[in-house]
Amino acid sequence: MNKVITINLNGVAYQLEEGGYDALRAYLDDATRRLEGNPDREEIITDIEQAIADKFRALLGAYKTVVNVREVTGVLDEMGPVADASSDGATAASGAAATPGQGRTADAGAARADGSTPPGARRLYRIEDGAMVAGVCNGLAAYVNLDVTIVRLAFTLLTFFWGAGVLVYLVMAVIVPAARTPTEKAAAAGMAATAQEFIKRAREGYYEGMKSFRDKQSRRAWKRKFKHEMRGWKRGYQQQQAQYWKNWSHNWQQNWNQAPQGTPPIVGPVFIAPLLSILLFALAIVMVWAIYSLVSAGSFLGVVLPAGMPLWVGILLVVVAYQLVSWPIKSARYACYYPGPHRGHGGPFGGFIGSLAGLFFLGFGIWMLDRHVPEFHQWLVELPALLHRGIDAMQAWFAKTP
Amino acid sequence: MSLDEKFTAIRKGLLEFLVLKIISANQVYAADILKELNATEFATQEGTLYPLLSKMRREELVDYEWKESESGPPRKYYELTAKGRAALRETHDYWQKISGTVKNLGQK
Repeated sequence: MNKVITINLNGVAYQLEEGGYDALRAYLDDATRRLEGNPDREEIITDIEQAIADKFRALLGAYKTVVNVREVTGVLDEMGPVADASSDGATAASGAAATPGQGRTADAGAARADGSTPPGARRLYRIEDGAMVAGVCNGLAAYVNLDVTIVRLAFTLLTFFWGAGVLVYLVMAVIVPAARTPTEKAAAAGMAATAQEFIKRAREGYYEGMKSFRDKQSRRAWKRKFKHEMRGWKRGYQQQQAQYWKNWSHNWQQNWNQAPQGTPPIVGPVFIAPLLSILLFALAIVMVWAIYSLVSAGSFLGVVLPAGMPLWVGILLVVVAYQLVSWPIKSARYACYYPGPHRGHGGPFGGFIGSLAGLFFLGFGIWMLDRHVPEFHQWLVELPALLHRGIDAMQAWFAKTP
Repeated sequence: MSLDEKFTAIRKGLLEFLVLKIISANQVYAADILKELNATEFATQEGTLYPLLSKMRREELVDYEWKESESGPPRKYYELTAKGRAALRETHDYWQKISGTVKNLGQK
């Protein structure tokens, strides 16, 4: 009969015989020591624990719930001793020395490898969720920690300098990668940086603590307590991150979570979704083109800006028109990906049918009013002039203020 | 000293090149890489592969993506970055060059 110890490998419990536990402990301690000074130590250890857990899982079954000593040592032999890849640069260096021309590049590479890019630092990405065009402003806002509206305004203002805003935007849309994976999304907002920093500091605290204990027994107790707390923090952080993204997506009235498992995809909307995306993209291009031709030629499709209307009002009108037209399409596309009323977003018309109905009623209402209410028809006819007068009044007001 | 021992350092030095090659074919996770390597003379173990992969990621040669798996927790699937593809091309050319040299030396 052997004593059994329960361990936690990345959130799953495994039962090991005591001798096996000691062997595993020794292996992981050895790995931690060998990776001393490696910036990715935490991550490598987690990966290794994961691989060990996978191997344990393959050994266990319904009637076998404990991993015995022989099996643990077998698994550890299979894993092999952890070798720090950064420290065996010696072989690479001597190889490069034979060809003098390449020695320098190898050195430069090594220097950069040890160098300054800390893992999980905040990075510039495009954030496409909740984006107006390609998510450049969205990503930039997250990167510099500003409200996205301010960044968008800045870009719009930049546009008045010979269209610089549009140019910069287009270039960034091509160059800056989009955040796709959760890790990238976290990096876009600088989430991982803080957590990594936190864990690193906690680890340092751990080694300080280790130094202060003299006897083996209390060291062991400290180690166990620390491991336990680390797991707790990690879980807490993951929950906090999940919460963060939930709030974030809520702000954009979108939901980044995958559709719940087991819900069969609705064929129609899923088929429609790409078409809507293409439509949105085309609209965005039309908008950029409209702004560009307004800036360069002062007219768009032969429509000249009314006399006296400043360029910026024209551009603003184009942007507002784009928003008005694209909003129902956007929410329809959103509804395609996340069907079901309970997942509907906070807009006035949740869901695919809702937004289609909204669009339909809006059009129908205007059409009915136009046909049957002469005053409304008259008003529609006069609308451009009305707008013009309103803008004139605004201009006069602006002219008077200083 | 057996040939196997003599070539230990060379096999070790080539490991990164081979890992680049394997990842270039398609998105793989660590166990796939090991399975492929272990069928050859370049058999290796997790203890070597994981630190190597993390070093390659630090050097921005590879990047990974979390993907759900049917059995167990999500896995890291690795793929080459643009820089990794460039490194692979460069290494491949260099390898061609030295293996050509090995072949041609001493032959009249």
